[in-house]
Amino acid sequence: MTTAARAGAEEDVRRRVPDVGSLMAALDRTNYLADVGLATALFLAVRLPQPILLEGEAGVGKTEAAKALAELLDTPLYRLQCYEGIDAGEALYEWNHQRQLLGIRLAEVRDTEVTETDLFAPQYLLRRPLLQALEHSGPRPAVLLLDEIDRADAEFEAFTFELLAESAVTIPELGTIRATHPPIVILTSNRTRDLHDALTRRCLYHWIDYPGPARIAEIVRRRVPASSGPLALQAAAVITRLRTLDLAKPPGISEAIDWVSALAVLGVERIDPGITEQTWGSIVKNRDDLELVGSRGAAWLVDGTDG
Amino acid sequence: MAENNSAAQNYSAAGRPPRVEAAALSAAFVTAIRRAGLATSPDRAARLAEALHLIPPNQLEQLYWTCRVVLVSAREQVPLFDAVFAAVFRGSAGTAQPGSAARPAVQTPPDPGPRTRPAAPGTRKVGTAPGTRQHPFVASPGRDSSAEGRPADREAVLAMVSADEHLHEASFAELSADEVGDVRRLAAALQLATPLRLSRRTRTSAHSTASLDVRATVRAARRSGTDAPLLLYARRREQRRKLVLLCDVSGSMEPYARVFVSLLQGAVTGAGAEAFVFSTRLTRLTRQLALRDPDQALARAAVSAPDWASGTRIAEGLRRFVDEHGRRGLARGAVVVVFSDGWACEDPEQVAAQMARLRRLAHRIIWVNPRKAAPQYQPLVGGMAAALPYCDAFVSGHSYRALAELAAAIRGDGPQSGQGHGRARGKEPAHAN
Repeated sequence: MTTAARAGAEEDVRRRVPDVGSLMAALDRTNYLADVGLATALFLAVRLPQPILLEGEAGVGKTEAAKALAELLDTPLYRLQCYEGIDAGEALYEWNHQRQLLGIRLAEVRDTEVTETDLFAPQYLLRRPLLQALEHSGPRPAVLLLDEIDRADAEFEAFTFELLAESAVTIPELGTIRATHPPIVILTSNRTRDLHDALTRRCLYHWIDYPGPARIAEIVRRRVPASSGPLALQAAAVITRLRTLDLAKPPGISEAIDWVSALAVLGVERIDPGITEQTWGSIVKNRDDLELVGSRGAAWLVDGTDG
Repeated sequence: MAENNSAAQNYSAAGRPPRVEAAALSAAFVTAIRRAGLATSPDRAARLAEALHLIPPNQLEQLYWTCRVVLVSAREQVPLFDAVFAAVFRGSAGTAQPGSAARPAVQTPPDPGPRTRPAAPGTRKVGTAPGTRQHPFVASPGRDSSAEGRPADREAVLAMVSADEHLHEASFAELSADEVGDVRRLAAALQLATPLRLSRRTRTSAHSTASLDVRATVRAARRSGTDAPLLLYARRREQRRKLVLLCDVSGSMEPYARVFVSLLQGAVTGAGAEAFVFSTRLTRLTRQLALRDPDQALARAAVSAPDWASGTRIAEGLRRFVDEHGRRGLARGAVVVVFSDGWACEDPEQVAAQMARLRRLAHRIIWVNPRKAAPQYQPLVGGMAAALPYCDAFVSGHSYRALAELAAAIRGDGPQSGQGHGRARGKEPAHAN
């Protein structure tokens, strides 16, 4: 068994998040609606030393969950967006060479002495998210979000995990930096490739399901204050109905929010087929899908009847 | 139903259970999960015990989520997990006894679902008699080198020298079971390499390119301490494109699929390819085929794809591939190889529509149809004719020699016959004899 980065939650964190129910309520206060499954997953991620791997369709709120967690713990969120070919220089740290050179020139001009230790001082270090999260001084651990970890190379995945398990990084010129408050780690994946067994073995896991219409409506209402009651509910019903079609890119919650925002800007209070056709661009974003939806007709989407 | 959820009720009555019981509960539940065929490890049991200590399981729903978050590590595992959880805690097996949460878990029979443990590969291999209904690629006795003491380098010789000339030319459909074993080993050893593309990563170079690598230049200048530094440039590295293999394993492809799957296995272990098989549904086999031992890999793959030798739904298979894997990045800029004879009982327009979607994602599409080798062959089957305009290359791959042609097509220097066949679609059929 690998050594855990964190021994468990610190006293302060435990006080803030005593049980699953209170975490759910706190998430609710940050306007993130979590069901009991997600709340349990996040609770365990906070209280156990393991990172959590969140998976789910695009737009179900994987990234938002991390943001909400950071907000309710009143702690910074460090986000590392992974992509193919990401390396340690972009994830951990890099020396700011240009600035070092400038420092030397300035020292020459001012006729002051500059030593090597001056040049490899912390102010010349470019801190990337992983290092920032490790260095976070507290009082509570930071939340570190490794977004779309499946896009990074397998080697990077292994490197990250090594680092997180150690909770320390050695910079040759500065020495070892050890985390005083090891971060709470949240990983998200879109399943473009299978993650390595070693990673899934070390992580907690939660699949975020697509929510039902009532919950979508509630989320939309929270996010778009201008949307009156029936508008959000109607929009949620349309989105849910759209998802029953065999779309290449089924609309997610973010599309629902975008759409209702658009409707609010247009001053619409009730969704009818006409306005739906005008604003399809916010929810259907693929030409094949547009044709499919067009063949079913806007009336069906709005009322569920063929008209 | 009276004793149904006695395990759960037992907890609610006892209130917060002591830690020891949480440990016993998790050990027993993890055992039940493992018996049902889900991969777990002892540290998961320890983690579950810890989690149960944090979240006292006094509600069944809460217990469910705690166990699921800790024990499940992929979405595919959820249905199996649910079944075991229901059997153990919701008492659908009906064996729960009050006072002992651990016992029902141990007594629960393994879930007879599709993911039960595969039989040991050895037994599968040995117990194969000609004529027995088996998965196609375990059907032929895989005379592996360990069983016969055949020196490993003999394979290489087989591939090079013309001693086994007829093996190279013979269609896979006409081979005897022994010969299939040989050809399968040859196929698995084929080196597949995709064309290169420029990667985002760069390599420092002294030759001038469009972009000066400031960092590398400054670093070099600092080391040498001169004021007129050597200028270093960033040159983009080259990287092989991804390779995705989609193999039709329906009934009509059966004689060929047994060899193709070996090719898939070689490509997965050797070239980092992604492998899928389809007939009525689509199954991703990359993981199963990634084992070094080919017999074991093939046995695992056979267990994972339940639809061997059934009907064909090419359009559906392609659609599922594009929706669930291709669009998410697997097929983007990749070389996609489809092994299929194009015989499908579905609307050719559907095939065309899905091929068009795949075309927009992939770098090259290569279609391998063993029936192309027949002299009077014309791509007239509905699905095949519909798919051809979207293919960059169309090869037969019916014999070992033809597979070399496929390797050339994957490298990108093979015959570029896609356009020609696209036009041939409209031609009158040749005289049938």
